[in-house]
Formats: sequence, structure tokens, C-alpha cells
Amino acid sequence: MEQYDVLVVGSGGAGQRAALEAAHQEGLRVALITKIFPSRSATAMAQGGINGVLNNVAKEDTIEDHIFDTVKGSDYLADQDAVEFFINRCPELIKELDYFGTPFSRTKENKIAQRNFGGQAYPRTCYSADKTGHVILHTLYEQCLKENVHFLQDWYLLDIVKADDGSVGGVVAWNMKEGRVEKIATTALVIATGGAGRMYWTRTSNPYLSTGDGMAACFRAGCALKDPEMVQFHPTGLGKSGILMSEAVRGEGGYLLNNKGERFMKDYAPSKMELAPRDVVAKAIETEIAEGRGWGTGLDAYVVADVRHLPKEVILEKLHGIRDLAITFEHADPLVQPIPIRPTCHYSMGGIDVKDFKTCGTVVPGLFAAGEAACVSIHGANRLGGNSLADAVVFGKVAGEGAVAYVKENQAKDAAKALNEAANGWEQRFREVTGRTTGRPISEIRDEMALTMWNNVGIFREEKKMEEELAILNRLLEEYKTCYVGDTNRTFNMAFVNYVEVGSLLTIAKAVTLGAMRRKESRGSHLREDYAKRDDANFLNHTVITLKEDGEYEVGQSEVVITRFEPKERTY
Amino acid sequence: MRQITYKIHRYNEGRSYVQTYSFDYEPDRTILWGLQKIKDTIDPTLTFIAACRSAVCGACSIKVNGQAMLGCESKIDDITERFGSDTIEIAPIGNFDVIRDLAVDWEAKVNRLKTVAPWIFMKPEFNRDMGSRQTPEDFKKFVTNTECILCGCCASECNKLSANREDFLDPYVYTKANRFVQDSRDAAPMAHVNPAFEHGLWKCVHCMNCISRCPKHLKPAKDISELRAVATKAGLSNKGTRHAIAFKQDLMQTGRLNEVTMSLKTDGLVDSAKQGLYALRLWAHGKINPLELVVPHKPVQGIKDVRTIIKAAEEAER
Amino acid sequence: MKYAFFPGCVLEGAAKEDFIATVAVAKKLGIQIEELEGWTCCGASHVQDVDPLAILSTNARNIALAEAQGVQLMTVCNTCTLMLREAKNELDRDETQRARVNNILGQAGLRYKGTSDVTHFLWVLIRDYGLNNLKAKVVKPLSGLRVAEYYGCHLLRPQEETGFEDFQIPTSLADVIKAIGATPIDFSRKLDCCGFHAVYPAHDSVMQMTGSINADAAKEGADCVVTPCPLCQMQLDMFQKEAKQYVPSDKDMPIIHMSQLIGLALGISPAELGMTKRHMTSTAALNRFVGA
Repeated sequence: MEQYDVLVVGSGGAGQRAALEAAHQEGLRVALITKIFPSRSATAMAQGGINGVLNNVAKEDTIEDHIFDTVKGSDYLADQDAVEFFINRCPELIKELDYFGTPFSRTKENKIAQRNFGGQAYPRTCYSADKTGHVILHTLYEQCLKENVHFLQDWYLLDIVKADDGSVGGVVAWNMKEGRVEKIATTALVIATGGAGRMYWTRTSNPYLSTGDGMAACFRAGCALKDPEMVQFHPTGLGKSGILMSEAVRGEGGYLLNNKGERFMKDYAPSKMELAPRDVVAKAIETEIAEGRGWGTGLDAYVVADVRHLPKEVILEKLHGIRDLAITFEHADPLVQPIPIRPTCHYSMGGIDVKDFKTCGTVVPGLFAAGEAACVSIHGANRLGGNSLADAVVFGKVAGEGAVAYVKENQAKDAAKALNEAANGWEQRFREVTGRTTGRPISEIRDEMALTMWNNVGIFREEKKMEEELAILNRLLEEYKTCYVGDTNRTFNMAFVNYVEVGSLLTIAKAVTLGAMRRKESRGSHLREDYAKRDDANFLNHTVITLKEDGEYEVGQSEVVITRFEPKERTY
Repeated sequence: MRQITYKIHRYNEGRSYVQTYSFDYEPDRTILWGLQKIKDTIDPTLTFIAACRSAVCGACSIKVNGQAMLGCESKIDDITERFGSDTIEIAPIGNFDVIRDLAVDWEAKVNRLKTVAPWIFMKPEFNRDMGSRQTPEDFKKFVTNTECILCGCCASECNKLSANREDFLDPYVYTKANRFVQDSRDAAPMAHVNPAFEHGLWKCVHCMNCISRCPKHLKPAKDISELRAVATKAGLSNKGTRHAIAFKQDLMQTGRLNEVTMSLKTDGLVDSAKQGLYALRLWAHGKINPLELVVPHKPVQGIKDVRTIIKAAEEAER
Repeated sequence: MKYAFFPGCVLEGAAKEDFIATVAVAKKLGIQIEELEGWTCCGASHVQDVDPLAILSTNARNIALAEAQGVQLMTVCNTCTLMLREAKNELDRDETQRARVNNILGQAGLRYKGTSDVTHFLWVLIRDYGLNNLKAKVVKPLSGLRVAEYYGCHLLRPQEETGFEDFQIPTSLADVIKAIGATPIDFSRKLDCCGFHAVYPAHDSVMQMTGSINADAAKEGADCVVTPCPLCQMQLDMFQKEAKQYVPSDKDMPIIHMSQLIGLALGISPAELGMTKRHMTSTAALNRFVGA
């Protein structure tokens, strides 16, 4: 059995930053488990940048401004004390990344360059061309290598195991290469496993990895899921893949067309047309598709963005990146063809309920959560662009600090018995599920979940459809119990890993649905057709969903912390 | 209905075999989409790795018709058109240990990466509280190398690695080393150059497969070349260095290479004799006149210009 | 059809027969080639490793000499082609570098303009001369000769520098082989590297590479290996015996430069192609044509 002081799960920005923090402490046994090589995570896909008030470009920007922009962006659902704590730490973490060697673009004064981003008063988004997440992740990996962080690579989290006193005892994980269940005892555990966008399968900008494994494991271990219904969508994902395409295509004057060749925005926003706000555009696209005026079917349906009427120079110069994406992933050169597009799921604002933002601690002693997997909450109902990378490194470090402090004050718990039981249980489960010769294929269950979640609990939500979805999810969860996996091999059994992943996604999808049903209002990214207005009197609070002993979900609420910014109407 | 056929090189627990799968053609689909389609609808045991499916994470590199590429950005239409066939051969990338089917073992590569100290030794004038400073021009000098996504495509068809992996590093490792060597903020470029020099820097055979394969258009062979230049300037010398310097000396003296003296300059007298003098080998093959050992080549017409140019270039480098 | 001929260093020495053969073949075909007066070593990728600016500048001079005559620069060596093309591409692409190099050349009264292309004899035959015209000149078709077409590296890769054909599925050499009546075997190692440039520092690996190419050519039933590059030719030929200690093979494999093989089909005698002088082992099939 492996034995550590601090164990981190997940190798994105938050996970690696947490591991690095623990590794900086002399004498601690630290390890990081990851289901894939550490530079592949969703962090690598973040393009735009990382927010922090450095005043390298805008001298007049203040911490106060960044706090306000974040709170307003969250539609007042963020906890303001947590936001204040977060914003105050952003600059030091960015400077530290710089010191670690991150190749940030530079100003003429040789400082980190900063640019404008949506919803922010000043240019405060630090960047490295359009590869900010990629360079940050690789830099963190370099530092982890330097500090000899012990990576348990190709190990996959199965369950969190608690000691008798209810604190963290360890985890059981699937050693993918060896094909066996491993027991890992640890005093402190940091979960940084990212979001769950893959519940919409191809309609997400997230990597295949974003399957909510850590969220689901924490949920089973007794943590609440906070505001799971808060899922951010982007109106223009690429049609076939869901890859994010910047809004510049609309900004520069591109048309959105349906299969009749009509600029359908005339029916939804006659004056603003394509330049209408994100949610209006997203709704228009989905309506066109629902009413049969798109191309393709199911999750593959799309409308198109057409820029062919624009001057060639505009396309080549200002839409250069978009053109590359369209050619590579849609096989469409915007100079001669329209680009298939459709909204895409981008980010999970909700997640593992963090009880103490100063440590990232949860309700389970010794269990910490950070990054997209966690809900601190600093993003509330809507995250600002550039705040996710900042979230990852700030709370990655905070969780690392929290875990280290916990280890200093607490002895390792003996959870050998519980670990054995859990490991034996999973070993049996592996044999049983992979040995089945009948049942519904796991990919079918995944696809039905994705399609119905998209249609019923996607961008636009209403009671009846969500009730339908709840029934569908309950049925899928039943079918999951007898599903067909189809691969009995032990070595690198991705079918088994995919099976567990779909289980995580179903678990989270149900919480998203229940959360969305509870919240009978529209706030930030959560848009209810039947409750179009924000309702502070009843819903200026967090959704909190826990798992009961009998396996039922309990839906509750908790207070939003408001310190200095009273909720106002959110206009831009 | 048009069918696309994948012939996949599979491997599991010691057994290698080729398995053929066919599925309905759809336009504008990627190679990775085809793999997912097979796993979902034909054979759940087919094993491959993928993550971002947008060519930024490096997970899904595979060999397609013998050539390493990212499955996510390679289109079935392009491959079938380019190779003139609807049957596509797919294999794991080369020069990696295969775990299963198309999944290769990256863990084994980490220690190789660590050889060159792939992290920055920040100059002492910078610190954690202030970060670093760098001019936009200096940033440009190395930023391209930071675009490496560690996909391994450069290593897949590297002929040197295929011949022997033990005394040479994967091309991306040299690219990573050079990323720090060229970074104005790094205080210890030789901390990256020295281990690179010790681990095969001069053993690259210039097959140029790395440059041809890189999906990010990086140039590992050029990085190797740049590292060699830095190493040479720092006085690190071996057979490769001496060989290259001998070329330059010949260029300066006569404008052209003297094959006869080349082996002596490169190997030294003892080694040359041990291996069978290269010149003797040439002589034995009737390829040279041994008199050239004693009668030097005549300089080319315009040698004065050549010397002026080389000196001017050396001056400009200073 | 006129070219400035850039023979490269080994054609002056170790591979003199390729010089003789190329000149003879060009004459027979009516392609005017004239050795570029005052050419210097391309750097062979080695000088590039120790003094990139100096070699860029002398290669700029090489091209400038051809420009002064208003003709393309033609080589029969893969590495010369790549080194010269890399220099040309860099100078044409990067204005700052071009100004810098022209400043250096200026000190010798020269100037690089970018008006002459750098090409290889193989490309000239296909793109400029035409395979049908070549076919028409064949008097002694090499029927029955099974040829392992071996491209080597630097005529194919990196493709952005070479640019003639798909580096993964080249056909140029096979097309020429077919045009002169011989049969290309679709050699499995046609894209492999012979290892020439690292024969000193990576001796064992290079012997492995050389040995594999020769052994597999034999296994696949080739009568000879044909290459457009004198460096590959030297490597595969001269180290053939030694390489067998690394990759055993009971057959000897003749290694021939493309110009020589074409010469045979055009009815030029082996002696005029420098083929009898060579100390190479021949297979029976090749002897029929070489007349040894």
C-alpha cells in the first residue's frame, strides 16, 4: 500500500500547483495521481489569459475594481469574502508563475502584458499570445519535475476512503497500466479533477477528460455539490467538435444563416442582429435547430456563420485564428465556405462545496478541493474570462497550503480496513462489469445522457423538460447498473475507465438537473424560460445538494456571503 | 455506401496483430472520430488516448499510413485523397513502448526529459515577489519553442532513436533544452547544454523527420543545431565538433572540403588508425588519390571573397 | 535549358564518377550544364552547427554567382540541395536576415537578389525536361533490372524547404527508373536515413542504419540500390562490409547514383560513367548492364 502525507488528484493547473506547494515543504511525502500525462489537461486549452491587477497597462485599475467585476459577473451569487481573498492573491500568484519561467507576452517596459477581456473595467488579463493556459501548465509541470513531485501517472481515482472518525483515510485508484486496484493511504487529500462538461459529450469545449470524477467521488464521500446548475455555455462552438470559436466572427460582421440561407437573427434581435448578447444568440441558434432550420441531426446539428461577404483582408488579418480552426476542425475555409457552429458547454461554476476558502477545506476533515472541480464560490452564476486560470493557481496553492497545515496538526489515520474493503469492492466490480456479455452499451447510455441533457437541461431550461430529464437520468442510472462494458482485459482498459467516467457524469448530471429545478429564477448562466427574472428574494443563495444514505439526493440551500456590494441589476 | 477501413496495429499483453474495421464514410471527419466510432459501435476493446481533440494537448498522436500525426486534426478526407485509398493504416507512434494498441508509455520518457534540467534557473536579479523582466524582443527568441505540446510525433520516425534509444534523447527534449538556453532570463544555459552534450547532442543523423512531423511546426533538428553552436562556443568538443570545425577550416582555406585530411582532424591519428583510416577506405575503393594527403587542394577561384565573407560574418556575430 | 552545375565537394573527390556520369548524361540529353566557377562547400549541415551566419553567407554567395549568370543552380546531391535551399528560403523569407547577409556579401562586392532557384538534377529531369522526353532518348532499356529506389533524406525533408513532392509518398525516383525501363521495387526503406552525417559521432547507430537498408534491399529482391545523392551512395557502398557485422546479410548490394543508371539506359558505356573504376561488388543482373 502506498502511503503519503499529501495526495493530489488531477494534474491540471490547480492540481500541479497544489502538489508543488506541498513539495516545497521539507520531509513531506507528496504524490499526484493523474489519469493521463500531466500536460494534457483542460488548463492547456485555456487561450485568453489570467486575470490579476498588476497595473502594467492600466495604472488606474484596482483590486476593488477586479472584485467588483467578478461579483457583478457572477450575478451576485459569488461569496464576496472569498472573491476578495481570491482577487488579493491573484497578482502574487501571477508574479510567481512569471518567476517560475512562464513565457508571458511583454509590454514595452518588459513587464507582463495585459489585455482587455469581457466584463472587465480595465485591461488586466495577462497572456502569452493565445496559449496562456498551455504555457502555464507546462511551466508548472517543469517546476513539479524540478521539485521531484512523485507522479502516479495513468492512475485513475475510483473512490475516497474515510477513516473511522470520518476524516480522510486515503483513496482507491485504478492502476491503468497494471490493471489493478491500488490502495493509497494519505493524511490529506486534494481533489483537483476539473469540470464535468462531458455530460454534454460533443457539445462542450472541454477535453474528453472533464468527466467530473472528483466531484462524484467527493459527493459519495459526503461533500455537497454547490450550485451544480451553474454551467457556462458559449454561443459559438464549432459545429462538429464543440471546440470554442471566438466571438470575433460576429464582432467583425459575420452573418448567422439557417438552412434557408436566412439571417435568422432578424427574428430574434432585429436591430442588433448578430451582435445581440450571447444568450440571445445562443437561444436563436438552438431555436432554429429545434424547428428544423439547421443542418444535421441530434448533437451533430448546426447552423452556419458566414463571413464570405467580408473583405478578404479582414478574414486573413483579423479572423486569422478562426480561419485556422475552421479549416482544421470543420474542413471549411471561411474564405469560400460558411463555418458550422452551435453553442457549446464551457465551464462548471459549481462543484465540490468548499467550506473554508482560506484552506479549500471541505466538510470532510483532510479533504481539500480546488480549481474547476471545486465551488468556493468565486464565480457564482457566471465566470469572467481570465478568472479560471487565476482560480486554478490561486486555489491550487491555497489547497496545497491547507493540506500542509492539516498534515502538521493531524496524525495519519489508520484506514487500512476501509481501504481494503473499498479495494475489494472495486476489484469485484471490475470483474463483474467487464465480464458482462449483455446490457446496454456504455457509449449508448453516454450518448443518450448527452443528447437529452443538451435538449432538456442545456442553455434554456423549463420545469417540464427538466422533470422529463430527471426521469431519463434515473432510468439511465438503472441501465448503468447492468450496462455492457465489453473489455475484460486488465492492461490499460479504457472501456472500464470510460465506464466509471460515465458513472461520474450521470451522478453530476442529476445534480445539475435537480439544482436547475430548484432555482426558479434566471441568474447568470442559468436561464429559465418559465422564470425569466432574477429573484433575489428567494434565490440569492447557493444550491446545496448532498447524497443521503439511501442514495437519494437531498436538495438544500446555503447563504451567499455579501460584504460590500449589494446586488444590483446586471447591465453592461 | 462508401466505407472507410482502418487497419489497426494492435498490441495487448505480448501479442501483436493487425485488425481491420470498416465504417460508413462521413465527410469532414477526423481520424480520431473514426477511432471513437469504432470503439463506440464495433469494438470496445480498441484502446487509444485522446483529450482536447483540438491539437493543443498532444495526447492522440498516432502513426497514420506510416507517419506520426495528431489523430484529432488529421482529416479522413485528406488522408484518403493524399494516399489514394479508403483503407488507412493506423499504428502507435514509433520509438515509444506500447502499453496497449495505440496507447504508448509516456511515463518512461519523463526521466529522459529530466536529463536536460527542463526548468528555468532564474537570474538572481529576479525574485518571487516581483517576477521577472524581459524585453519583447527577447521573448520572441524562445517563445516558439514553448509551443511544444509533448505529443512525441518528432520522436516517432527519428532514425537515430530507431537505431538506438540509449545514447540519444527524443528530439523534443533538445527543443525543451533550447527553450531555456535561448531564454534571456535563464542564468545557467550550460546547465541545459552540458547534459544535452553528454546525451547524444552530436549523434543526430539529420534525417529531418522531426521537423517534418511536428504538428506545431517546431524544428527540433534546428534546436539541436543551435545547441551544438552554443556547446562549441563554450569549448565542449567531441568528434562531431571536430568534424564540423574541420569543415569550416577547409571552407576558409580552399573553399572546399578535403576528404583525406577530414578523418584525421575528426578522429585523431590513433582512432583513425584503429577504425581503418577513412582515407584508406576511400583509397581502397579507388575513390581518392593518396597524394592528396601531401599535395593540398588548390583554393577555389574567388577564395579571397570567401575569406572576406567568413570574416565579416564572424565579425557580425560578435 | 541551361543550369549552373553545383557538383559539391565529394564529386571532386570520392565520388568523381558521379561528376563524370552527370556531365555525360546531361550532354546526351542536350541539357546544358556548366560547373559554377568558384563554388564553395555548402557546409553539409556541419558548418551550420558551428557558424550558421558564415555558412549562410557563403551559400548566399554561391547562389549569387548563379544569379549573375541568370540561371538556376543545379546539384546532384541531396545535402547540397537542402543546404542551398535552406539558405535561399531563409534569405527570401526574412528581410532582416537578407539585409544582414547582403551587408556581409557587400564587403566582397557581391549581392544576393533571390532571382535564381536551387534545384536537383532529378527535379530538372521531371519538371523541366519531361519524363517522356527522357524515355524517348533511351536506347538500352534496363528491362528486368530490379531497382531499390532510395531517396535519402534531404531531397524530401523538411518539405517546407524542399517542396518538390509529398515527402511521405514520393514518386520522382521511381518515375525516372520506370522511364528508363527498369523496375522500382517500392523499397520499404526508401525514406530511411543512411546515417552519413553522423558516421563519426554515432558510429554504431549509423552502421545499424546502413546495414538495414542494404540488407532489406537484398531481401526485397533488388539488383541494386539507386539514389539521387552521392553521400548516401558513399555511405551505403563503402561501409557495406562493416555494416554487415551489425545487420547480417549474405548478399552484396551495388549502390549506384541516379546519373549512372540513367547513363546506362542512354547507351553510355560503363567506363564513361566511371562504373568500372568503382570497387563495388555487383550482382549478376547489374553485370548484364555494366558489362563487368
